[in-house]
Amino acid sequence: MKQFAEWLSTTFLSVFIQKHNSWVIPAIQSIHIVGIGVVLGSVFMIDLRVLGLAGMDQTLRQITTRFGPWLTAALCVLLATGALMVIGEPVRELVTLSFWLKMFFVAVGTLIAAIFQITLRKHEQQWEETLVNRRSIKCLAVLTFLIWVCIIILGRLIAYDHVWGSWSPATKA
Amino acid sequence: MDIVAFLKSLEASGLATRIRDSLWLFPLIESTHVIGLALVFGTIVIIDLRLLGIASTQRSFKRMASDILKWTWAAFALTAMTGTLMFSTNAVVYYHNFFFRTKMLLLVLSGINMLIFELTAGRTIHSWDKAPSAPPAGKTVAAASLVMWISIIVMGRLIGFTTTRAAVLAPPPTGVNFDDFLQGTPDKRGGTPAVHPDKK
Repeated sequence: MKQFAEWLSTTFLSVFIQKHNSWVIPAIQSIHIVGIGVVLGSVFMIDLRVLGLAGMDQTLRQITTRFGPWLTAALCVLLATGALMVIGEPVRELVTLSFWLKMFFVAVGTLIAAIFQITLRKHEQQWEETLVNRRSIKCLAVLTFLIWVCIIILGRLIAYDHVWGSWSPATKA
Repeated sequence: MDIVAFLKSLEASGLATRIRDSLWLFPLIESTHVIGLALVFGTIVIIDLRLLGIASTQRSFKRMASDILKWTWAAFALTAMTGTLMFSTNAVVYYHNFFFRTKMLLLVLSGINMLIFELTAGRTIHSWDKAPSAPPAGKTVAAASLVMWISIIVMGRLIGFTTTRAAVLAPPPTGVNFDDFLQGTPDKRGGTPAVHPDKK
């Protein structure tokens, strides 16, 4: 991975970002944070509706139709800006425990969001009438929110990977 | 007591020292700050897009506002608290930082913006509550709010790139020039040219 990261840092795009890092990196990171806001806000609204804490004037389907596409779009923005950050600073990103833990949680969070939207479309009535009232589903809503919270924490920890001590590959380098 | 003396005593406080000395406290506080601001921004965007008539156009504005804004305020409290904690660890440097000052100014302006809403479109909600968008004054406030909050995020990120925690060890001399920070020449401050974790 270190070798791959070092190779990546010699590519044209990477060299460009490194050359203009004083403004390119903060700019990409700012767009990334704006995307995080939209993702967390959207997940939050859907979860609150499942928990019965907000949006009760809307059906589950209405809330998901409103926020689902924004969630997907913002995730694409995050993927693009995230990829640019990896290309711009490959060693800083790839040679950390935080980054890979984060990618794992991103995969889990995205999978849950996708499965939820697909099953809701297929079994709309069941979701609105019974599933949404189930305790297990409400727990899942809380868990989903916590997964995205963990993703944010791990994202910030990429810059502080030393907090993992000897578990961090960055401290060995 | 002048402001710099106060900021210095803030930096010397037990809590600030504890955060500085800890390996993981600052990163954790910073992460919580990001979670809080993501919720503040995410929920404000929902309201602003409703006012602009871009999304949630079928819903009652009043209902949405009462549903969502309490969470915005709770998240804002969390963000302000964690922000204050981060500020205390390196108060003098943050106080002199151009981007920090701009961010604080923008926060005040967004408060005033909110007040303008309450005094204009906020007074006539009953007449446009179910309409797909707010009257022009409401739309202007919403657009300004979006621009300001995105700018606040950009400023926040730039603070991280122009201040260094290590500068605490060698605080800048009093009478330091703002331009030094803008030009990004930490050596001029007489402190160690430290590297922020974001810059590594």
